Amino acid sequence: MNDCSIEHQGDFALVRVRGEVDLSWSQKVRKTILEALGKAKSVGVELSEVSYIDSSGIAALVEGFQNARGKGQKFALIASSQPVRSVLELARLDRVFPMVDTVEAARA
Amino acid sequence: MSCRPILKLTIPAKAEALKGLRDALIGALDREGADHQTRDRLVLAVHEAACNVIRHAYAEGQDGVLRVTLARQRGMLRFALRDFAPPVDPGRVKPRDLDVCRPGGLGINFIDDTMDSWRLRPLRRKRGNLLTMRKRVPRKRHGETT
Repeated sequence: MNDCSIEHQGDFALVRVRGEVDLSWSQKVRKTILEALGKAKSVGVELSEVSYIDSSGIAALVEGFQNARGKGQKFALIASSQPVRSVLELARLDRVFPMVDTVEAARA
Repeated sequence: MSCRPILKLTIPAKAEALKGLRDALIGALDREGADHQTRDRLVLAVHEAACNVIRHAYAEGQDGVLRVTLARQRGMLRFALRDFAPPVDPGRVKPRDLDVCRPGGLGINFIDDTMDSWRLRPLRRKRGNLLTMRKRVPRKRHGETT
């Protein structure tokens, strides 16, 4: 089931994304990430339960990353699933995004 | 040269129809013996091509349909996406520089990196456009598992 939610932890916001991120709902992912960036100093996007992502989903992550960088905020991808990693590699973005394995590492 | 159809599908040009397209492609490519990595790349490429039709050819929200055909031509798989949208200028549809980090515009890169060849052409006499993409995928031998 597709789902995207925010969990606030002090100055840190955790965005959890689940399911198949495609054009049908990637705008919701985008808006959720931008909303998290509007309320927290640091944002992590947890992607371990994402079984598919397309270019519109990747665009939502890139926009979040660029938005954060522009405002001096921290932004990281957490526990990216293999399907996400494969598409990031294809887009040559695997070395652009800060990627960590745990929520604790994203908060540090 | 004979061309054996494997899959024929007509879907509404709506983002909500993409999941069904992916599922149908996964089943067809599994039957054709594509290994999982190749299958997933092909599904992504066709999905991105369909997204481009929905977002750009028809423009989001506009009603229309998309006909997807997958056929085998000896060792090659041939994917064809036919729409009925206004003609698209093929010269404007090309991969972008991936060294520039910006949101969007990745779909054609995914297609270009995955397929052995592809061609987009507007259909002059009929309305619409036809995208054909080819990829060498050896046929699965009888009893072989991927």
